Amino acid sequence: MATTQTSADVVIVGAGIVGSLMAEKIAQQGLSVLILESGPNIDRNHVVAKFRHGVDKGDYMAPYPYNDWAPEPRKFNDYFQNEGPVPYSASYIRGVGGTTWHWAGMAWRYVPNDFKLKTLYGVGRDWPFSYDDLEPFYYEAEVKMGVSGPEDNGSPRSKPFPMPELAPSWALSRVRDRLEGIGYKVIGNTAARNSQNYDGRPACVGNNNCMPVCPVDAQYHGGISAQSAKQAGVNIITEAIVYKIEHAKNSDKIEAIHYYTPNKDSFRVTGKTFVLAANAIETPKLMLMSKSDRFPNGIGNSNDMVGRHLCDHPRAKVSFEVDEPIWPGRGPMSEYSIQSERDGEWRSESAAFRIDFSNTNPVRGITDKLIKQGVYGEELEQQIRHKSAHSMGMKNIVEQLPDPNNRVMLGDRLDTLGIPNPKFYYSVSDYTRRGNARAREIFTTIAKRLGAKELSFSAEDKFSLANHITGTLGMGDDRATTVCNGEGRSHFHDNLFLAGTGVLPTVATVNSTLTAVAVGLRTAEFIIEDLV
Amino acid sequence: MKHSVMLSSALVLGSMLSPVALAVSADQDLIKRGEYLATAGDCVACHTAEHEGKPFAGGLSIDTPLGHIISSNITPSKDGIGDYSYEDFDRAVRQGIRADGNNLYPAMPYTAYAKVTDEDMQALYAYFMHGVEPVDGKPEATELPFPFNIRESMAVWNGLFLDDEPFTPDPDQSDEWNRGAYLAQGLTHCATCHTPRNPLMAEDSGKALAGASLGTWYAPNITSDDNSGIGTWTHDDIVSYLKAGYAPDKSQAAGPMAEAISHSLQHLSDEDLSAIAVWLKTVPAVSDANDTQPSESYGQVNDNIDSVFLEDVPASTADMSGAQLYNAACASCHQADGTGNNGLPSLVNNTVLGRQNTDNVVMAILEGVQYRNHIEESHGTNMPAFAHEFNDEQVARVSNYILSEFGREEVADITADEVAVLRSGGPASPLLPLARWGMGIGAVFVLGLIAWFLRRKRKG
Repeated sequence: MATTQTSADVVIVGAGIVGSLMAEKIAQQGLSVLILESGPNIDRNHVVAKFRHGVDKGDYMAPYPYNDWAPEPRKFNDYFQNEGPVPYSASYIRGVGGTTWHWAGMAWRYVPNDFKLKTLYGVGRDWPFSYDDLEPFYYEAEVKMGVSGPEDNGSPRSKPFPMPELAPSWALSRVRDRLEGIGYKVIGNTAARNSQNYDGRPACVGNNNCMPVCPVDAQYHGGISAQSAKQAGVNIITEAIVYKIEHAKNSDKIEAIHYYTPNKDSFRVTGKTFVLAANAIETPKLMLMSKSDRFPNGIGNSNDMVGRHLCDHPRAKVSFEVDEPIWPGRGPMSEYSIQSERDGEWRSESAAFRIDFSNTNPVRGITDKLIKQGVYGEELEQQIRHKSAHSMGMKNIVEQLPDPNNRVMLGDRLDTLGIPNPKFYYSVSDYTRRGNARAREIFTTIAKRLGAKELSFSAEDKFSLANHITGTLGMGDDRATTVCNGEGRSHFHDNLFLAGTGVLPTVATVNSTLTAVAVGLRTAEFIIEDLV
Repeated sequence: MKHSVMLSSALVLGSMLSPVALAVSADQDLIKRGEYLATAGDCVACHTAEHEGKPFAGGLSIDTPLGHIISSNITPSKDGIGDYSYEDFDRAVRQGIRADGNNLYPAMPYTAYAKVTDEDMQALYAYFMHGVEPVDGKPEATELPFPFNIRESMAVWNGLFLDDEPFTPDPDQSDEWNRGAYLAQGLTHCATCHTPRNPLMAEDSGKALAGASLGTWYAPNITSDDNSGIGTWTHDDIVSYLKAGYAPDKSQAAGPMAEAISHSLQHLSDEDLSAIAVWLKTVPAVSDANDTQPSESYGQVNDNIDSVFLEDVPASTADMSGAQLYNAACASCHQADGTGNNGLPSLVNNTVLGRQNTDNVVMAILEGVQYRNHIEESHGTNMPAFAHEFNDEQVARVSNYILSEFGREEVADITADEVAVLRSGGPASPLLPLARWGMGIGAVFVLGLIAWFLRRKRKG
């Protein structure tokens, strides 16, 4: 097991959207930046070909390369281990570009009150900074990612979106008109999706397969971030599976990072500053694995907070038939939603949420179901046509409060390199369940207004999780209950920074990517300040 | 009463001011006309640096096999042409001679601008002196290696090939035809790219607009020949192409032509575009016997689109077939059957896939179809560049697939080596060794070659 050394000013673990965009920003200041990425390069054209060939179109991971030396949760493996009352599930991609290779591109900002939940409503925790502090970085992220959307969406802005919102589909126009005046205003989503030519990438042409992959790069993804990082001079080493963070012999400073190649050759990388941006599950895992005599709980974990406060969006769902053909599935998969329930006085008692309408083409699901029911021939064709035109799905992106018991831990199984899998304790509190109950009432009101038939709710104790993995590396001023400070700096290691969705101390009611990028770009400034 | 007092005051005031006011407004009209003519001449394209360069301040570096040619500052400042008299300006634009007496390189299309009338020259001068924001700063000087740094030798070439007679109307043709001929032969300098060159690299007047390679992109035959040219295009097809960048169901502008449209042609009046179309329809046909049907008549819809799914996707993109690559990278917009969708161009019956010269197929894949400026009336589509996604072999595979599937199958024989040449900016130039070797006997010939290469490389 030969050990070879290499070095850079800043060493980043993870070539996802956050790590790559931070790397680009830091490298533009003339610092040397090295990214270690556990997975391989990902080629969009190959992924598109695999998707088009694939049988199980609903498995968004299927078109992506899988490697047992850098495992990730898949249908065919049991990577996640669960101990809590609610099984935790998520999917993520280990490869250059990371999980935003397949997402719906939703790029919402939090609303200002999301940053002071404790102060305003006595629940959850406050952020170490305010919406206004983050606002310029939100904008920076939006310009980078090419975000389009309606100006009036509940999150104040100092500058207009870099491009106008997408033209509405027929479904959006109809639903918006039909729901006029009932107090739940429907707007188009803000999304990292081109409504026009932007940054050398074309406008959305409505393939409606944002997941598993946008075939034309109209939707931004981390692969594009990694490309910009490389252009800025960042060195990305792929198939470099980090397994240990090493601190200095006689201080708390981080000195090196160790990684394996797939055939277990070991390398040691030294640097001045280290950034862990390897996703909200893999980063805590890595910190917990890096135990030493000086840090028996692992790196950055002297207060035993790493991996705790795991939050996601345990959503409730509803589906029904609308009384007119709305033809969902044209344009992007996530196109429109309702913002009115994202903040309010009731937030002290029950969870806030955003209501999301599905715009995923329903033909495949409907066809599967009808065939299973034994429908065939002309009847099958007629029913597919009718149901595809009339079907509607909604879900609530519901807030979950940070609970130290909900956590990522080291699991009991080892992968081919001897690295443990993640283990979870996860539960859903009454606060969130009350939010879901309130959402069901609103679903019913909306469904009635749309002349609903065949209304079908998801079971009350079944939750549809959203891959919005947050909280496990939470930032905050309180050293006893958080992992890093508002700069993203570990409370216990001056030259160790954390980034990605894990550092968001609360999950709020929106997809976490844009906020993670904005916070990462803010953290990058403190890193630059340290070194330049 | 009140009214009449006001009226008479206005009249008095008006009569007092009118000579000055009239002069100012006449100047303004002249400047405005000059601006329009400068747009028609597309001066801004070369005389503005990339990445937010100030208009007309020069500094665009044009790569040629001989070195960088850097466009000059033509704003009315001390570093530009602020000191130019009308005569200086005229000599530069129509004869290719700077105020200091030095010859310009024919990257400046003065052989075409020579057709501009005196009256329009006055308007252009007024615009450049009074309508353009002066910008200080001299761009870096152009320094070509010996012998190309001897600007004087251009005089010999000019003596042979520069026709500096302004345009004379043909009394047998309509005013519209004459207007079109004047614009197309002069300011819009169509022939600079579209006319092939003779052995001394001057435009071959016997083959006017018969098509020529610019090294990378190919400027096709736009004579009235049905098969080799654009004889099948309607008048409206041509106007649409010049204004919006596409002729419906036939052809889309790309490369340098897209730039000419975005900077220049789309801004011309409908009357002028119509005039150009009228004239273009009468350009004598130049025919190539190998072209036996119109370029937009090739190809058919792929009615067997599922066949691509019978082959497994290989483990690596490097091993994917042309059909698989097309399906992955192109079909999302052009559709699996090749027919396009809602303004996304059909590849079937598309001129780009129906010509003998296939360079534009390769170039469109490598560079995409992107406009530096917005084309107002286009669909705003933007074909991404694939140069960083596909290697030479993959570009060749996709090109040959679309040619054989949707276009002229007989020319579906592009090799990876040919793609590599186009990717690197066109065939390597024998010019420098040739020039040094042939200094004694070949100076004129070589300078002609320079003209040829400059023309090819004008867009860098």
